Amino acid sequence: MAAARYGDALLIVAISVVSAIICEGISWVLIYRTTNYKSLRSTIDRTSKKIETMKSQTPASAIAAAKKSKSKKMDRYELSLKESSRDLSLSKFKSGAVVALVLFVVFGLLSSLFEGKAVAKLPFSPIPLIQKMSHRGLPGDDATDCSMVFLYFLCSVSIRSNLQKFLGFSPPRGAAGQGLFAIPEQKLK
Amino acid sequence: MGSSDGLKAEKQDGDTSLSGLQKLIKGDASWDRDQLGDVLHWIRQAIALVCGVLWGAIPLTGFLWILIFAALSSGAIYGVYSIYLKVDAEEFGGDGALLQEGLFASMTLFLLAWTLVYSLAHF
Repeated sequence: MAAARYGDALLIVAISVVSAIICEGISWVLIYRTTNYKSLRSTIDRTSKKIETMKSQTPASAIAAAKKSKSKKMDRYELSLKESSRDLSLSKFKSGAVVALVLFVVFGLLSSLFEGKAVAKLPFSPIPLIQKMSHRGLPGDDATDCSMVFLYFLCSVSIRSNLQKFLGFSPPRGAAGQGLFAIPEQKLK
Repeated sequence: MGSSDGLKAEKQDGDTSLSGLQKLIKGDASWDRDQLGDVLHWIRQAIALVCGVLWGAIPLTGFLWILIFAALSSGAIYGVYSIYLKVDAEEFGGDGALLQEGLFASMTLFLLAWTLVYSLAHF
């Protein structure tokens, strides 16, 4: 059977899987196994659960005094949640640089292997914005030709985020809204 | 923290000791935010993979089929948590939050599977 014309696509998927595993391995060595990360993670989970239960338990009929002390307590929890989320993002910064290096090297390798070559056939013709990536560096103007860049993008997003979810390394939901630069607000007394 | 607290905690968390999958099968268990989110995430990824392979094998081509997949998978997720699990979305951050679980990852997984199967099976 003649080799499938787009057999290279499978090679790109395989390389993406291996590089995703390497990236998560590095992140595990540098962060996820450290006690600092584990304690931060459990603080975030515990605090966001407390806030959730407090939010769902505050009955409208609660006396004003009880409500006031509860909201003070809630503010304290939310502040601690913000701080530990920020510390968590900072701790991830270290491995982020190493992971970025790995992805950069893999991307360079793939670029040299597949520069100017259509590695797959898209079953749809993408909107011009997407074509900038999906038709990058390809000869001709067939919009359904797929470049390595686009296939690698699809691979790394779907494979890496699912691998993180599977290994339990995805960011905690409670801290979802907290970015690296979340400045803790000063509560007006 | 005596053992009685431990026992009480266990009784209260009777349901949380079940894994996400067991709760999904049981259907009427009580959920916590993370477990429900994870289950909906994996259901979405499974739908993306099945649709991607199916669309690519037939083949179904054209941008419209991306929209049909998006509507189909969101409808299925909504059906799972509101009709089958009978969960009150408000308790878990609202419909928006539940429908976003694993959305971007499932979109890229669907496009990847669709493109791969289509390219390898028909060329």
